[in-house]
Amino acid sequence: MKNLLINELRLSASPLSYIFLTAALMTMLPGYPILMSAFFICFGNFHTFQNAREANDTLYSVLLPVSKNDIVRARFVFIIVIQSAGFLLCAALTALRMTVLSDTKPYTGNSLMNATPVYLAFVLLIYCAFNILFAAGFYKTAYKIGIPFIRFGSAVFILVAAAEILPHLPGLTFLHSPKGERQGVQFAALAAAAVVYCVFTAAACRISQKRFEKIDL
Amino acid sequence: MPVLRVENLCKRYPGFLLDNISFSVCEGRITGLIGRNGAGKTTTLKSIFNLVHPDGGEISVFGLNMPADERKIKQRIGYAGGAVDYYKHKKLRDISRITSMFYGNWDDSAYRKYLDAFSLDENKTPLELSEGMRVKFSLTLALSHHAELLVLDEPTSGLDPVSRAELLDTFLFLKEKGVGILFSTHITTDLEKCADDIVYIASGKLIAAKPLREFISENAQAGNGDSLEDIMVRYEKESLYEKLAD
Repeated sequence: MKNLLINELRLSASPLSYIFLTAALMTMLPGYPILMSAFFICFGNFHTFQNAREANDTLYSVLLPVSKNDIVRARFVFIIVIQSAGFLLCAALTALRMTVLSDTKPYTGNSLMNATPVYLAFVLLIYCAFNILFAAGFYKTAYKIGIPFIRFGSAVFILVAAAEILPHLPGLTFLHSPKGERQGVQFAALAAAAVVYCVFTAAACRISQKRFEKIDL
Repeated sequence: MPVLRVENLCKRYPGFLLDNISFSVCEGRITGLIGRNGAGKTTTLKSIFNLVHPDGGEISVFGLNMPADERKIKQRIGYAGGAVDYYKHKKLRDISRITSMFYGNWDDSAYRKYLDAFSLDENKTPLELSEGMRVKFSLTLALSHHAELLVLDEPTSGLDPVSRAELLDTFLFLKEKGVGILFSTHITTDLEKCADDIVYIASGKLIAAKPLREFISENAQAGNGDSLEDIMVRYEKESLYEKLAD
């Protein structure tokens, strides 16, 4: 497993998976749908799938003395590592916006979503959509990436739209507060999203393993 | 002693049936797998590596069952599907370094020896190598963990005559060391130079699995020709003739 992870990091991974972590900086953009940061972080991981496919990594990996289950698990561990790094960056920048920069003008007059715990919850839901719709979708064939990506892209559109609309609904305007009002509710939403992420990512990994095992290569 | 035993292997695809294929490969012997395009050679080889899932039959390698003992088997077996066609933009050094981590019996001195013997430059990428050199790198990886069985899918296809001759010399050297070799090819003259046994598949059915000399002499006596190529052409043309006549 450790060796497969090293294989992921040194051979399979697209440099874009690492470079697109900088998309977390979008968290700081006022007047911008900052949830796109999560999309771009997932887009980096998409490039790793594409890179590995073009490099014929599947054939290389299955010929090694490893189980097919471990090959899939290593890819998921890689995805989770990148997503976690992206999440931590987004969380650090969200904390910065909610504290030191909370009274700064661009953010107080921001018409689009502000960085709050609910923003981080939506980041996790977008990651979740990637894992269940794209990654598990990819392992139906281990080479088709187009349709799974369209499904993931559609889910992102719905999630970003929902995140942008919610604070404008009656009773939910606190979601838009630069200081993160009603933090108890917001952190509860974040915790719920974290649980959803863990459950669905574990399920996505298991589904992918079963699908990959059935494929004739 | 058989290092590979395939018994009643069946695999069904839409429009194709690999039907009850049985044969074995012994240590220190070279077995050639022949047949036309689409005959089922690659499906057979892929089944041995659990790359495709057979619908029936059993595969045992070193007395271990595939796929139950897949990891143990793969530690002792090498596969080269012709030239290396993965990670074409990575340096050979990087590919071999990663590959070596997976094998408990990886022998770096053997790796260096084969690199040197095949004149492979570790700083090159597979993309910068000729077809023949990529086959040699593929073999280098397989041999550096002291594979006791080599399974090769058309390793001589696309090679010039000199490279093919060098490769056949390599096979003969490995055979002397006790390595069992199973390789598929269309180039029947290569088999006549080095193979001990022959497995012949036509349209998914096993035509023969026996010592090469015995196969040739039987067919020569039956008037089917005295070379593998003549025999294959005779078998395949007859079946086409029957199809057209129906």
